[in-house]
Amino acid sequence: MKLFARLRSWFRWIVKPRQLENEMETEVRFHIESYTADLVCKGVPQPEAMRRARIDFGGIESHKDAIRASLGLRLWGELCTDVRYGARMLRRTPGFTAIAVASLALGIGANTAVFTLAKAALFDTLSVSHPDQLRLLAWTQDDKSVVSSMWGDVYPDSKGHYLAAGFSYPVYQQLRRANHQLGDLFAFRDLAGGRDRLVATVDGQAETVTGELVSGNYFQGFGVGTILGRPIEPADDIAAGGSPVAVISDTFWARRFGRSESAIGKTIKINLVPITIVGVAPRGFTGASHIEVSPDVFLPLPMQPVIAPKGNGSLLNDSEIWWVQVMGRLQPGIEEKSAQASLAVTLDQAVRATMVVPKDRTLPPLTLIPGDRGWLNYADRQLQQPSSILLALTGLVLLLACANIANLLLARSVSREREISVRLALGAGRARIVRQMLTESLLLSMLGGTAGLAVGYLGRNAIPQLLASKWDAVPVTGRFDWSTFAFTLILSLISGFLFGVGPAWQATRSAINAGLKEGAATHTRQRGYAGKALVVFQVSLCMLLLVGAGLFVRTLVNLNAADTGFQQKGLLLFAIAPPTVRYPAPKNVEVLHEIEATIAALPGVESITLSEEPLLAQTASNDDFFPDGQPRKPGPPQTAMSNSVGQTFFATMRIPLLYGRAFDFRDTPTSPNVAVINQALARKEFVGTNPVGKTFHTEHTEELDDRYEIIGVCADAKYADLRDDPPPTFYVLYQQQKDARHGMTFEVRTSGDHGTLIGSIRAAVQSVDRDLPLIDVRTQTEQIKASMAPERLFAAVTSGFGGLALILAMIGVYGIMAHAVGRRVNEIGIRLALGAQASQVLRMVLGETAWLAGIGVAIGLAASLLLTQSLAAMLFGLKPTDPSTLAGAALLLFAIAMLAGWGPANRASLIQPMEALRHE
Amino acid sequence: MGKQIDLLQGTLDMLILKAVSLGPLHGYGVLLRIQQISGEQLEIQQGSLYPALYRLEHQGLIASEWGESDNKRKAKFYSLTAAGRRQLHSETEKWNRMAALIASILRTTSEEV
Repeated sequence: MKLFARLRSWFRWIVKPRQLENEMETEVRFHIESYTADLVCKGVPQPEAMRRARIDFGGIESHKDAIRASLGLRLWGELCTDVRYGARMLRRTPGFTAIAVASLALGIGANTAVFTLAKAALFDTLSVSHPDQLRLLAWTQDDKSVVSSMWGDVYPDSKGHYLAAGFSYPVYQQLRRANHQLGDLFAFRDLAGGRDRLVATVDGQAETVTGELVSGNYFQGFGVGTILGRPIEPADDIAAGGSPVAVISDTFWARRFGRSESAIGKTIKINLVPITIVGVAPRGFTGASHIEVSPDVFLPLPMQPVIAPKGNGSLLNDSEIWWVQVMGRLQPGIEEKSAQASLAVTLDQAVRATMVVPKDRTLPPLTLIPGDRGWLNYADRQLQQPSSILLALTGLVLLLACANIANLLLARSVSREREISVRLALGAGRARIVRQMLTESLLLSMLGGTAGLAVGYLGRNAIPQLLASKWDAVPVTGRFDWSTFAFTLILSLISGFLFGVGPAWQATRSAINAGLKEGAATHTRQRGYAGKALVVFQVSLCMLLLVGAGLFVRTLVNLNAADTGFQQKGLLLFAIAPPTVRYPAPKNVEVLHEIEATIAALPGVESITLSEEPLLAQTASNDDFFPDGQPRKPGPPQTAMSNSVGQTFFATMRIPLLYGRAFDFRDTPTSPNVAVINQALARKEFVGTNPVGKTFHTEHTEELDDRYEIIGVCADAKYADLRDDPPPTFYVLYQQQKDARHGMTFEVRTSGDHGTLIGSIRAAVQSVDRDLPLIDVRTQTEQIKASMAPERLFAAVTSGFGGLALILAMIGVYGIMAHAVGRRVNEIGIRLALGAQASQVLRMVLGETAWLAGIGVAIGLAASLLLTQSLAAMLFGLKPTDPSTLAGAALLLFAIAMLAGWGPANRASLIQPMEALRHE
Repeated sequence: MGKQIDLLQGTLDMLILKAVSLGPLHGYGVLLRIQQISGEQLEIQQGSLYPALYRLEHQGLIASEWGESDNKRKAKFYSLTAAGRRQLHSETEKWNRMAALIASILRTTSEEV
């Protein structure tokens, strides 16, 4: 109660200082007058009475001060004074203030921008109710697992196994029936990646959209409703033949329907299947797979057979293919380990009930992973390591900026020595003065922080832009919310302390007497070391950043120059995915062939081919590979990478053929199956023999036991990733496959203008079928560049930081040398008067600079050798301790430092002895 | 003139509360009243009066109001709040207890030890 009263009173007087002043004045005057009157009554003459009254009462100002102290206003008053004084000091030196605020703004701003990104990559959670309760069911796959067919992503874990989160639909149904620990299990599957995307036709216009298949209790499980219409309900799960309804996302609703209410009940086509829109999801809801972006449509899971058929079409009764994600809520009070154990038992039972489990196969071991970040965000560690490294880099830059400012402040405090000595002599406590100087530093850092917030806000899209590609937007935009403000605030405070405490403490260390005297030359020795140490620190930090920049830039250059094995220039890429509703197998193969022939006839097309997997797009297929006539090796089945390609593939991609022949007119859908293998596969499986003429077969669930004859061996070409060596691969002819369900990517070689060609290709495809859009139109070069996006990002960011660090280091070196020369003017004058040459003075000062730079570079080199080891995985074509990069960075930094020191050195050599001797 | 005894801060607060409890007073009046009820034995140091008054008001134990003094001058009058009354009561009890305790200690003769 007392505390509350105190706070209220304190606040009242803070807000009305002048009223307090007036009241105190009135009260005190009244007291003195009353006392005087009383004295007069006692017989003391009036002037004597007044004098006595005043003396007895004491000084009015000290009374007021005591009153203010008892009201708790003293600290606040002092703070206000300090801030005003600090602002005045900053205004008086605009150059220093500008440099300091600018470097702080850049440092803090960069940190804020990277922080929002890192937050999205590492911390943000799904905006549903109680996301911490959500648990995603997952299991680890190894070579012996009974599960061999999967539709979905797996992620390598630390032990070399793969973490998967897909289950077969029958298993999910069993789990749901038997589970008691995780509430009602709901299921989903994202249709967002690559070829899983859907074609939505709204009012006759087709576009690619992303989707999510969801179970009937999905929206219930998340505790999320709809802002319009109804969500997907359990009734949609059991409707015979599937329930052709959809819930659309808020962004899709805004984009395509202009947020009009007429969207509810409207029928659109998804992959040519008529679907009725029944609801709109709330704005922040992003589904269960991603955090930043929502799927455009939510469809009931039983619609899978018509919308996204796989395997034999329907996966709802298929026990072999594992694909659907399952999530549940861990109710508070239930222990996670026991829930996981009982669910694991249930899973084993479900697997045994739905699949035949051979003796040598293992059942998938269940594990529960947190579901609050969605499945893909959790597993896709792609952004985690880069985020941490970026954060470390920006931290270094901020440290550099702080060191710079600390140095400048140290230099300034020397010129304020007189002022501080006077204050100390007048009785100010050292803590009081340190407090005042700290307030000045904090004021500076707050200014820098505010500017940094603006920089961070403007720059928060810069990094995602660098990562995105024209057609496959990676909208990893971080949310700029209160945690960002808090981060910036804390960073500003820490920076203020970092660069403020040292100089403040240093400033009050002077002996008062010496400070008051003129010419405080005796203390320069001590002062010099702090500043020099700071500059050495700066130089070593700069070295670290330069080495990092050098490594990343060279990695990028190496990647750009890497030999892909095929001719990437002049290739246009786009994908076409014939919906199975209109093109069941084998009609989809036929229509693709028709499109291929139509486009081949267009002017400007040098040659055209297709492939199931585009090259260097980070996707790949693999298949069993059993060479005939060779005994089966024990252990996991032999596989090789595979690609289903068009007849002119090798000619169009300009992959040389080494032996035998490529596909030609002899190979038709009815002639014997043929394949071309690459050199890597030939070396692996057909050592010492000529593979041409030999046969192999695959055991595929979609095709029967297919036998292929090898007709040729081609040169190695990179497949999915630019960094990996070409894997052993075999190519089959797509026309000889029974199905092209996933669609194909077309590669068109042309030397003409791409814009007009794309237009005529689009027209040609439309002439075959109006409802087939061109998906992801891009050039092969753009595709390759997109796969290098992280490397480009790092090269750009580290170069930028390296440049900034160089500038800051230059300013630092210049500042300290100018300051050192300024202090030694007297001494230099004496040397010159005694006969030293100007060039000797020049060499002396330059020598000092060289020492500073040299030590800084050496320390930076040592630190680089230690710290860059952690970057080894991100580099390509060079080691982290690459000597030429290190040497180059060291030379550059040393040269820049010497350049920075040249100015003061030159000025020192031009000193006139007579003036210098008169200088204080 | 009474002796100017150095009072502990807590004691001064208690005395002010007591003085004000007998009726609203301005600052100078508090001084006079304490002097009066102590039988001219006690004089408060003028330098500690106003800080104490403002402190008590800050803590919510007394409330102030602007009014007119006897000679028609503007003055600030202090009165006791409910919280102040409670505080005075408890402080008085504590003081009396402490005084009795110390008195009994001082009365001990050598035989009772």
